[in-house]
Amino acid sequence: MALLAQVLLNGVLLGGLYAIMALGLALVWGVLNIVNLAHGAFIMLGGYLAWHLFTDLGIDPFLGLPITAVAMFALGYVVQRGLLNFVVRAPMFNTLLITFGIEVVITYLAQLAFSADFRTINPGYAGNNVKLGSVIIPEVRFIAFAVAIVLTLGMWIFLLKTRLGRAIRATAQNLVAARLYGVEPRHLYAMTFGIGIGLAGIAGSLYGAVSQINPYIGAALTAKCFAISIIGGLDNPLGVIVGGIVLGVIESLALLYVGATFGDVASFCVLVAVLIIRPSGLLGRTA
Amino acid sequence: MLRIGASVAGCLLFASVLAPSVSSAADITLGASVQLTGPLANTGRYYKDAYEFAVDQINKKGGVKVGNQQSNLSLKIYDNQSDVNLSVRQYTQLVSQDKVDFLLGPFASNFALADSAVSEKYKIPMVQGGGASDQIFSRKFKYIFGTLAPASDYFGSTVTMMTKLKPEPKNVALLYADDAFDVSVATGTRPLLKKAGLTIALDERYSSNATDFNSLLSRIRSANIDAVLVAGHETEILNFIRQAKSLSVSPKMYSFTVGVPSADFRNALGADADYAFGMTAWLPSSALKDQWFGDAAQFAQAYKAKFGYEPDYHAASAAADVEAFAQAIENAGTTDPQKVRDAVAKLNFESLYGTIAFAPNGQINLPQTVIQIQGNQVVPVYGKNGFIQQPKYPMPPWNERVASGSAKP
Repeated sequence: MALLAQVLLNGVLLGGLYAIMALGLALVWGVLNIVNLAHGAFIMLGGYLAWHLFTDLGIDPFLGLPITAVAMFALGYVVQRGLLNFVVRAPMFNTLLITFGIEVVITYLAQLAFSADFRTINPGYAGNNVKLGSVIIPEVRFIAFAVAIVLTLGMWIFLLKTRLGRAIRATAQNLVAARLYGVEPRHLYAMTFGIGIGLAGIAGSLYGAVSQINPYIGAALTAKCFAISIIGGLDNPLGVIVGGIVLGVIESLALLYVGATFGDVASFCVLVAVLIIRPSGLLGRTA
Repeated sequence: MLRIGASVAGCLLFASVLAPSVSSAADITLGASVQLTGPLANTGRYYKDAYEFAVDQINKKGGVKVGNQQSNLSLKIYDNQSDVNLSVRQYTQLVSQDKVDFLLGPFASNFALADSAVSEKYKIPMVQGGGASDQIFSRKFKYIFGTLAPASDYFGSTVTMMTKLKPEPKNVALLYADDAFDVSVATGTRPLLKKAGLTIALDERYSSNATDFNSLLSRIRSANIDAVLVAGHETEILNFIRQAKSLSVSPKMYSFTVGVPSADFRNALGADADYAFGMTAWLPSSALKDQWFGDAAQFAQAYKAKFGYEPDYHAASAAADVEAFAQAIENAGTTDPQKVRDAVAKLNFESLYGTIAFAPNGQINLPQTVIQIQGNQVVPVYGKNGFIQQPKYPMPPWNERVASGSAKP
């Protein structure tokens, strides 16, 4: 029983980490209709940025989150404005190709810049935990989970209540009507992509604090984010939290009860099931 | 402008035709496909660096004597991007188009397993120091030789040591990734544990590149495991240790097939790397004499000075592969692949890596020395003659460790 409780908790906390990683991908996908295959590579870059802030300047990975987020936002803005805006209304295949290309370029530049050494962001408190009865709560994962919840709620409110957020949603729903109301899509697309990449930067910092970073972690992370976005749905940031937690819990239970090689099998089974039963995601609006 | 350029090019071409060749005999080319990029680049670089280092050193000492002529060694290395299929194509290209004389290996067992089919098909000997899986050598192939100790025996010395520890660990968890090397390790370790009278309380295969070990760690804790043996990859082991700390999972000991000897691993974990056991078939000892490098200690020192990081057994094994060819070619007195293959099979010489002599199946047999990270240093603790230095055992709980957190890399 204690084992089950512990594994469930592990799954929920893992889900929080998954949610932060997928939040940016889902936003960009939902609004710009770009499946950003380079999303994982941006997470990796964010991780390296946080690692450098921590090891070279001594900035705590959590305190460094705003710096990483702003820097990655700027990078995302430039990439969208200078590159992706040219293909944003082209067929999806073109955007897939170009983001795949960006993924390859970032990955190999990262190896040149940072070497293939494995890095961890490892402040003194990184392995601390709190004991609650028979269950152990790892602190960093818990904080990451809290950050995920706060960011998702913040994102939700931002999209619903702020002028910029409404403009983003309007553009996603009806570009012509949005333009008639004075929305400048090139800027807006770049803002959206920037926010998505900023979130990837935050995810990378947290990922580095609980796991390890090397130039090649991107592709696997993109695949995970892709699955979470589909499971949760793209219409609503809260869907990503639900998707992340569902995936985290199911993977953890599969690792416990089915076998340690079945984590990915379980997550892709869930993906297929969701696609069959609720194609627009658990929290998505059914068409 | 164009004409000037053309005439300069013409002069250069002319000069190169006229220039006397430095060596009297053609170079002997060794070909390899190595992971220079991709997820395995971290370990792949040992092979490229060590191959180049050994080739340079052998050439500096006069090259290789083939009959009455001195020949230099040269290298042709491709980057297989950590892709097995690409590496097979590249080895095929090396032998069929580039016409290299002999083959050096890639890193990792699954690569060596696939690539050795090429050397076998074209009957060009391959001496490889990157694949230890017993599968590679169980197919009666004639042209594949390996300088890593057999995977099935990686935990051999560790299990022997475990029976001599006080208090003796009783329950053992055996975790292994689902690739050729790690499956061979697990297959070899099970009977060793049974023979030593230890109980395998948890025997679990996990996916290569797994990042989440929380479920396994929770099981280890709830089953009260004394000793955890993990056969996996460095990224997995980094995650395993970090997650063990965050869940306060602290068995009496844990041991890992990879990572522990690598400087990179200790840098990434800092003080959290302490107490981890591992094994290595090679330590940079001055007792290992070498005709080209002096001894293993000098090799390690020069290697670090040149490449900026410490060599581990991968690098030493790779350097030994180049030396094995140099020695075998000298012994054979020819570069005929068949004769050199026979000379490799008969090799018996002292090198910086130890005695190079292959069993009939083509694999070397070197004993593994148990090592442990103590104060962020690799310390040899148990060898074939018993304890070398005292192991730190049992491992203290995480909250009672003195220092934690990362050292600056």
